[in-house]
Amino acid sequence: MMKGIRQWVFVATLVCCLANEGWAQTYNGIHKYDGTHQNVVTSYMMLGDNIICDTYFGVAASYTRHLTDRWHVGGDMQAQMGKQFYSVDVQGGYRLPVKWMDFYLDGKLIYNRYNLWGTNEVMANLSLTWETPYFNFRIGETYIHYHMLHFGYTEPLTLALGAGVNIRPRWDSWNIGLFARNYDDFYYEAYNINWGVNFWANLMKDVQLFGELNLRPAGSLSQLATEYEKSLKLGLKYVW
Amino acid sequence: MYGKPMKKYILWTMLAVLTLTACDKVSPAGILIANTDVDDRIKMSRDYYRVHERDLFLFKKAHDGEYTFLVGADSHLTTDPGRMREMLQIGIDDDDLFYAHLGDIADTKAEYYITLDEVITEAKEKYGKKHYKPVTYMDDYDYPHTIYLDTVSQKFYEVKEIPLPFHPVVGNHDITNNGWALWTSLFHSSFYMGYVLVGSDDQGVEYLDRLIFLDSASGTLGEEQIDEIESHFFDNDIQNNANLKIRHTFIFGHTNIFRPSATEFASTFTREETYYLLNKFDQWNASIVFSGHVHAWDEREVGGITYLTLDAMSEDNNPGPGDYLVRVHAKRDGSLSWERVRMNYTPISQ
Repeated sequence: MMKGIRQWVFVATLVCCLANEGWAQTYNGIHKYDGTHQNVVTSYMMLGDNIICDTYFGVAASYTRHLTDRWHVGGDMQAQMGKQFYSVDVQGGYRLPVKWMDFYLDGKLIYNRYNLWGTNEVMANLSLTWETPYFNFRIGETYIHYHMLHFGYTEPLTLALGAGVNIRPRWDSWNIGLFARNYDDFYYEAYNINWGVNFWANLMKDVQLFGELNLRPAGSLSQLATEYEKSLKLGLKYVW
Repeated sequence: MYGKPMKKYILWTMLAVLTLTACDKVSPAGILIANTDVDDRIKMSRDYYRVHERDLFLFKKAHDGEYTFLVGADSHLTTDPGRMREMLQIGIDDDDLFYAHLGDIADTKAEYYITLDEVITEAKEKYGKKHYKPVTYMDDYDYPHTIYLDTVSQKFYEVKEIPLPFHPVVGNHDITNNGWALWTSLFHSSFYMGYVLVGSDDQGVEYLDRLIFLDSASGTLGEEQIDEIESHFFDNDIQNNANLKIRHTFIFGHTNIFRPSATEFASTFTREETYYLLNKFDQWNASIVFSGHVHAWDEREVGGITYLTLDAMSEDNNPGPGDYLVRVHAKRDGSLSWERVRMNYTPISQ
């Protein structure tokens, strides 16, 4: 009975989050399969400020299905109003537990539409993630192709690098962490290292609140990091 | 006072700070926070440009509707000004209407900028001797002193004041280690524009080629520059005057948009800013977009626009002779052509 009510509360919250804009995608870091729940739904709202588009608002939703305790597949959607940015992706991966660590091999295929500039973008990423209770590190390669103005361009392979650290073990009921990475849920950059702080806290047994402050400079590897974008994400994760 | 672990952390922190501040040419701490803000540069440049725009080089007149200009990139001048001197000499010898330099003109040390200033002054004197009339008189101390008379405008110039048409944009190496102060002491503005008057028709419409110089040294144009662009900083003169028409638009910036090959550095523009810029250049109906930064040659066509990324003319990066410059020829009939121009200077140590 309680579980049913929680599900409805969560779904209602999701609907409230997404009422205006439809579905979107999410990514809040790799979280170890808990061994019980096979389904994970997350949704977040995003508020940001960007030097080109000024203030924007976004919504995202994501679903992950753990096929076994090793294999998972999923999909994400995101829309950012103000930027007129729309994104969908599918992803899947394999988890290899080694003692107290986990290694993930993940693949992700993203389609992005930058409507303001009439640009279609396809990205494919293959990443290896090393996750420990307090620390995670990811390295990967990304294929990026975009098409605009009757012109297509493929970026030679682009290295993806990311790292995060938490103040408490990853499975604790709440946590705060720091991260640095050259990618986010829906894009991969050549340089331009994002950095910020994130948190999560269990609201109920199966529902988690999470958030993230993301500072995205440009020109990091010109040694001239300059403010480009800052964004705030706040969302819920539900497992069953 | 401190426990052993705390001492260890303090030592590590001190070591990290020393490491991050010891590098000469780069500022590793700039990966997180820049010491030179693009928005500040634009504010300073905009103010300078608005006061001095008529002194810069608006309305250069093409000879009989036809002209050439010379473009170079990434000279990274240190103690040897050979390549910089060669670029300036080529332009004087071949009567190019103007030069554009795509940034990273010198590494950021005062003595390198003193050397750069000397080379530019030397070129001004040569330019003055070629285009103006030298007038020598005995000064108050009975020493011969030469000034230069522009016989068209009837203006006299001291050597230092000769308007050598050398127009640089700023690069990332120009502004690391607070190099902006050095750069502005010579060039003043990193965000400006100019026109070349190429002719008029029977209806009295003047045709202009537009030159746009962008500050992309930080790997982003920044908010101030984007706002200025969106406020039609580069379009107002034209939009408000039915008797002016743009023929060609040439864009000069430092940071490359395209990656010459998988082994070269990618652009530091964010994905969104890349798409914004490609669209903006299309809206401006640009003919050629020039950039440098990556020290490798690249050419491609996007939506009818030619994008040229120039190899470095720096002696350190390319000690041997090579085609490091580009000359553009804008012809009377409106057609354009460009060619790579060879530089022969070889450092003595080679």
